[in-house]
Amino acid sequence: MSGRWLYPFEELGKEHNDMVGKKCANLGEMAKIGLPVPQGFALSLDAYRKFMGITGAAEEVVACIECRGNSLDCIAEVNDLSRAIRETVESRPMPREMDETIGSHYTKIGTCCGVADPPVSARSAGAVSYPGQYETHLNVKGKDDLIEKIKKVWGSTFNPTSLSFRHKKGLPLESDPIGVAVLRMVNARVAGIVFTADPNTGDTSRMMVEANWGLGESVVGGESMPDTYIVEKKTLKVLEKRLGTKSRIVVPSEKGTVEEETPEEMSSRLCLSDEEVAEIAKVGVRLEEHFGLPQDVEWAIDGDLSLPDAVVLLQTRPEVLAKKKEPVDQLLDMMMSRFVRL
Amino acid sequence: MLHDAYDLSFYEFDEEKDVKEYGVLLCDVVHGRPPMKPAYMGIGWYWYYHGVRHGAATLCLPTTHGWDSRFVKGYPYITAIRTTPEEAAAREPVFRERIRPFLEKFDEVWDGYKNDLLEMYKTAKESRGLKEWQDIRKLDNNELLSFFLDFAFVLNRKEGEVHFIMLMASYYISGLFQEMWRELFGNEASIDPDFHRVMAGFEAQDTRVVRDLWRLGRKAMEMGLENVFKETADDEVIERLKSSDAGRQWTDEYHDFLLESGWRCDRMHAYDTPAWIEKPGLGIGRIKMLMSREVFPFDAEHERVARQRTQTEKEVLSRVPEDRRGAFELLMRAAQKSGYWSEDHTFYCDLYIGSLGRWIITEFGRRFAEAGCIDQPEDVHYLHPNEIRKAAIPMGRINLRPYVERRKKLHEENLEIEPEPFFGDIAKAQEVLRSDPTLVVSTQLPIVREELKADLYGAAAAPGVVVGTARVIMNESLLPELQSGEILVAPGTSASWAVVFSIVSGLVTDGGGALSHPVIMAREFGLPCVSGCVEGTRKIKTGDRIRVDGDQGVVYILSK
Repeated sequence: MSGRWLYPFEELGKEHNDMVGKKCANLGEMAKIGLPVPQGFALSLDAYRKFMGITGAAEEVVACIECRGNSLDCIAEVNDLSRAIRETVESRPMPREMDETIGSHYTKIGTCCGVADPPVSARSAGAVSYPGQYETHLNVKGKDDLIEKIKKVWGSTFNPTSLSFRHKKGLPLESDPIGVAVLRMVNARVAGIVFTADPNTGDTSRMMVEANWGLGESVVGGESMPDTYIVEKKTLKVLEKRLGTKSRIVVPSEKGTVEEETPEEMSSRLCLSDEEVAEIAKVGVRLEEHFGLPQDVEWAIDGDLSLPDAVVLLQTRPEVLAKKKEPVDQLLDMMMSRFVRL
Repeated sequence: MLHDAYDLSFYEFDEEKDVKEYGVLLCDVVHGRPPMKPAYMGIGWYWYYHGVRHGAATLCLPTTHGWDSRFVKGYPYITAIRTTPEEAAAREPVFRERIRPFLEKFDEVWDGYKNDLLEMYKTAKESRGLKEWQDIRKLDNNELLSFFLDFAFVLNRKEGEVHFIMLMASYYISGLFQEMWRELFGNEASIDPDFHRVMAGFEAQDTRVVRDLWRLGRKAMEMGLENVFKETADDEVIERLKSSDAGRQWTDEYHDFLLESGWRCDRMHAYDTPAWIEKPGLGIGRIKMLMSREVFPFDAEHERVARQRTQTEKEVLSRVPEDRRGAFELLMRAAQKSGYWSEDHTFYCDLYIGSLGRWIITEFGRRFAEAGCIDQPEDVHYLHPNEIRKAAIPMGRINLRPYVERRKKLHEENLEIEPEPFFGDIAKAQEVLRSDPTLVVSTQLPIVREELKADLYGAAAAPGVVVGTARVIMNESLLPELQSGEILVAPGTSASWAVVFSIVSGLVTDGGGALSHPVIMAREFGLPCVSGCVEGTRKIKTGDRIRVDGDQGVVYILSK
């Protein structure tokens, strides 16, 4: 695949982690084993390098760092440097060849659903996870907007947190190539996360589903307390349901998204039926079995489809479990969840 | 309207208010049948309720403050005093720390308490110069009253507190193990033979006591005394033995055994049946049943049971996912100890304290009767502890008959009735039971599996299958009817029934769950047993041929 820098997800698998970033590789792997992921494509790490090279942004970033990168121990300096670099990166026009290739693949996403400017998301996909969130842009419409947002994702590798992290660790400041996943937006009625092992206790016999109305960003971001469901992995039986406050939801606006206060009628009831929870959990089990490790999966319920097709997956990654607990502490946790929190 | 509870305040049942407050109250047929008498309700039963609440407070149980109890027509009804969600959240972190030692070192905790109790009983006797049963007659009325008060307010309280701290911890542990078992293997633990194989192979104090009886029986045979036992009624054996040197030597040995292990009444939850040390003939009957056995049945089975346990443990552990194996094994060890405790504690808790109560209270009964306050010594059981206290000094001044007669009449009526199984909304029972796993001590529901087409379904079972003739025995005084090799069908069994496990080929009981006496003892003796069938004694008649399937936890009535 040398020379290429754009791949439809169907062509990718987990072995392509270093080439396109984890998120893209895993989306590809999920597509490959027949799980429902939205249509889309990945820009590889090479796309980043290519853009930085052809446009001359790479050189200018180096120059920028040489001139201002000595005093990165001060927050204001880091912020200044970050701003300067991101401006440099984002102001470069996309090279024509890249612009056209991205454009034609973008148009394809629209063709199959009969839309001219299909709404998509542009999500960062690092090969290694570093602290400092790289950007994700939702509900992007039209090729020009998409190109702008891809550049913003790339530019986000120079955000202040990432810069100072790389500085502290002695990693190169001038570049941190990442992939970008471009995905058709799902008309999410409900979205959230499924942890295939209870993340709080490390109990692998139980799964946890967190859910809120609208796009999953309200759950991923952790600002709004979602509904929580505990599911027995073996039987997919819903053992516990906790109504979250779900005070705010994220929904698409004309372009991009907006966070709104949740209407009382919606915040006061659970957003998933037991059947939906079981379907989400089922996909979670499948992923855990396939990857051989507990997974942390982002999913959405497509409001345009009905079960079981309505469950769409947006990302999966190995779950970070609570530190492996001593047996006696595992038992105490179990005692609480089985006898106390009913 | 308040239902009278033999004039005992706070035990009266209020049909409206209590049901509204608690949702449901369940009849405790395990402890309350036949119905208790006022003296026991006011002392032993009171301290058990205190004990439950004390245990809940000490362990800081998140979901319950302990049990509450009411009496309807003399039968006890129990329910949980539940915590609010806020209380539960606040109690949780403390509970985690308090229950931890029981998970980590159950034995050490129990050994400590056990020694405290034995020391307390010993001091209570020795400080008053008491050793033999009849020594209590030497106390003057003041001393007897002081002993009574010590018993009713200190000794019994301490016993109840230890008893229920241990019981609550052991039921939380055992309940969690059964839950984990179900989650991992998909089977209800209480009727899974593997579960019982893993839990078996531990010797409780009660088994040691029965072994001593068997050994005494064998010794009598070696000494050529067999015929005395065979030809003489239980009560007269000792008198007759005393006519020979060998017999005297044997009765001395038996007496030493009683001084150590005879502090037990036939009925644990009352003071109205005699203790072995009081009536040595009680032990003689049991010795007769055991003496023909060349090997003590428990010992014949023990090695096999213990070996099978080790094998099953290994096999079961290999089925547990690796990340949960450490926790499972720790829990299994603690649950084995809890199961063992369930049998072991009766000797140190219920039986011992009950016999001390019998000792003191019937001595008052004797004195009241002698002084003309009541007609018969055993009428003392219809008095409340406060009445006994107030009438004790000066002895003979108060006519207690009016108090006795009315309650005695009521009690006799209550003996004849079938108690309501519950009051309130039975749909709430599960919720109440879940809020406090210890409630299943007294209440358990059969696991019905219609595909097995059985006549009775149990709530718990000890593995093995046997076909045989049924013998229905409604209370321990009828035990001598039991023939070797028969299948015992009974409302339940308690430690005072321990000898039957050496005689029967299987058991069916109406009450009892995974930690109940019949299930634990049956699996130690390698006998099939199905417990918690609810209607066993009603559906099965003596002489019926039945199949007890302890592997499935069901009973078939083959022919009537």
